[in-house]
Amino acid sequence: MKRKILAALLASTMVLSLTACGGGSDAPAADGGAAATEEAPAAEAPAADEAAPAADAAAGGDETLTVWCWDPAFNMNAMYEAEKVYQKDHPNFKLNVVETPWEDVQTKITTAATSGDLSTLPDIFLMQDNAFQKNVISFPDVCMDLTNSGVDFSQFAAGKTAYSVIDGKNYGVPFDNGAVVACYRTDYLEQAGLTIDDFTDITFDQYMENGKKVLEATGKPLISMQAGECDLIMMMMQSAGSSLFNEDGTANIVGNDTLKAVMETYKALKDSGVLVEVNSWDEYVGSMVSGDVAGTINGCWIMASIQTAEDQSGNWALTNMPSLVGVSSATNYSNNGGSSWAVTTKCANPDLACDFLASTFAGSTELYDNILSSGALATWAPAGDSNAYATPNDFFGGDAVSAKIVDFSTKVPSNITGVYYYEGRDAVATAITNYINGSDIDAEMQTAADTVNFLMGQ
Amino acid sequence: MNSKKKMTLSKKHNLTGWVFLFPGAFLIFMMSFVPMIQALLLSFKTGVGAAMKSCGVTNYVRMFQDAVFVQSIKNTFFYLIIQVPIMLIFALILASILNNKNLRFKGLFRTMIFLPCATSLVAYAVIFRSLFANNGLINLVLVNLGILDQPYSFLTHMWSARIVIIIALLWRWTGYNMVFYLSGLQNIEYSVYEAAKIDGASAAQTFFKITVPLLKPTILLTAIMSTNGTLQLFDESVNLTDGGPANASITMSHYIYNMSFKYVPNFGYAAAMSFLILILVAVLAFLQMKVGDKRD
Repeated sequence: MKRKILAALLASTMVLSLTACGGGSDAPAADGGAAATEEAPAAEAPAADEAAPAADAAAGGDETLTVWCWDPAFNMNAMYEAEKVYQKDHPNFKLNVVETPWEDVQTKITTAATSGDLSTLPDIFLMQDNAFQKNVISFPDVCMDLTNSGVDFSQFAAGKTAYSVIDGKNYGVPFDNGAVVACYRTDYLEQAGLTIDDFTDITFDQYMENGKKVLEATGKPLISMQAGECDLIMMMMQSAGSSLFNEDGTANIVGNDTLKAVMETYKALKDSGVLVEVNSWDEYVGSMVSGDVAGTINGCWIMASIQTAEDQSGNWALTNMPSLVGVSSATNYSNNGGSSWAVTTKCANPDLACDFLASTFAGSTELYDNILSSGALATWAPAGDSNAYATPNDFFGGDAVSAKIVDFSTKVPSNITGVYYYEGRDAVATAITNYINGSDIDAEMQTAADTVNFLMGQ
Repeated sequence: MNSKKKMTLSKKHNLTGWVFLFPGAFLIFMMSFVPMIQALLLSFKTGVGAAMKSCGVTNYVRMFQDAVFVQSIKNTFFYLIIQVPIMLIFALILASILNNKNLRFKGLFRTMIFLPCATSLVAYAVIFRSLFANNGLINLVLVNLGILDQPYSFLTHMWSARIVIIIALLWRWTGYNMVFYLSGLQNIEYSVYEAAKIDGASAAQTFFKITVPLLKPTILLTAIMSTNGTLQLFDESVNLTDGGPANASITMSHYIYNMSFKYVPNFGYAAAMSFLILILVAVLAFLQMKVGDKRD
């Protein structure tokens, strides 16, 4: 009996000592996939302000960096290409690219930052431009100040870099271009007696007229949009240089005539059947690749998804988006999405990370040439001079689409995302849905403004 | 060796029991109760991200001024009031049918009805989303049967979106509750039913006079569990409807998630809302126990 008690006591002390280790404040990162590489000890964690990196700072050390990004065909591919470019000079360099959907990246950053344990984070991660302000202001400890990292930010498009500049400091290396393109199925347009020229430099009124013709001739709507997400709304807003927020951060919803015009246009498109709403992103992409719609309007990164429908090669054409009617500042150019690379303060080898970014995404035309075909258009000016941008794209009827998009991107009016971007977006999405279902537009805009103001209060 | 025998046998047994209990209890305390207490403290703070400051009960007052949160409470209670009774009645009926000794292929039927519980919450939500999509199976069938001219967009209309969620919940959880009832039914002596049969009781009478009263403890258990589960509903709202259209199907947990991870994070407020769910669950469970348990 004694022996049994002794055994039980011993067993329980062992269990206890084990849990005591795990429960301590510096619990080891037990994150499965993300922490797959061996990191250098946390004691080498960098200070926020780094001097210019020495290229061989990591000499003798482990030259592996972990990266989080989300699209295998697009930004992950870009990272793999960047790895190849960088490996030419740094044969020991290796990347561990972990596919992490943006929502998960956001969740993980929030969890790590609020718990104060950054060890679960990667060295580099991709951040949506729209979320940059929010994350840097909410969690000032997560992203490293890259202002003096050796990346020459003056070579990037100013409007793009602005997303990741907070209080005059650069926190992100701009990556992809989100210039809005309108893509159309030329074979469907042909059946309605139209060409791509009928959709170039047009207004939304003309868009609707053309859309009705296409709908009549082919039975296909001109565009599909995800219900409850207001991508198109935000694109239309920015095409007229308008935002949901003012410079000082206050909501700009009530009395925003552009927003009102946008909501009315959207409802008219929906009511006429020219625009069809679908329930999810998969359905949205599916409607294009399966030929259920005659076109779409989105950031140019959507080309990667469209081009997965290889059987439709040559049947697509690309032009600028329609402009708003009755808004004096209306243009045919806008921006949607786009993201930038951020380096975490947890990164054990910040010099290597900065040098990697500086010599690839901010220093290699070769990289941008290699990833161009996936729709990853540079916001880095020197890349635009490359001949690759003038290469015709057979999928889009032999058009030099890349040069076209770079041209669009220079004409995009700038806007203000603000810290509360997602709150504003969701509130407006709710307003639009209710307005389409018959509510009064002014009352809905007031409600949206109230919601946003409520969420901005503490 | 045996000279130090100070403890009685029962004391010794008790000690052994405590020793075995301690590691588990300690782990539960550290992993569950400590975070709960921390969350309670957090709910009295406010601020953006990691910078928090004390604010008293502001968060608890604030949530009732929050139109979206109030909407999410209404939605959640709609699911609760409609879905839980239907599901429990359905499960009870299925359980008594499948408890029939003369039924053939009983095991097969039981497995088929229980099988949905083995699917992942996200997977089944995504499947329901595609079933009810504009070009999904349901619309295809309805259009081809001539019931609808145009595909109906179930998930972008307020009421149909809520009903789809309820249908999905019924599909997923009825079998789960049925298993509880089946196991409860095994504890009812078959001779009771035989006696009823001899007395000439109809099937309905047997069900209401024998099965339901004798299953009362199990019914109470499933009712509390379902209430608890429904108040914490999350996966279906996120994956099936994304809270839409216009927040018509958003649940409390989904809104708390948005507040923590999608929007500018305000963990104090999110923690306070979580505690409201805790209070609601506790109150409802208490009421159900008072109503359902007549033993004392």
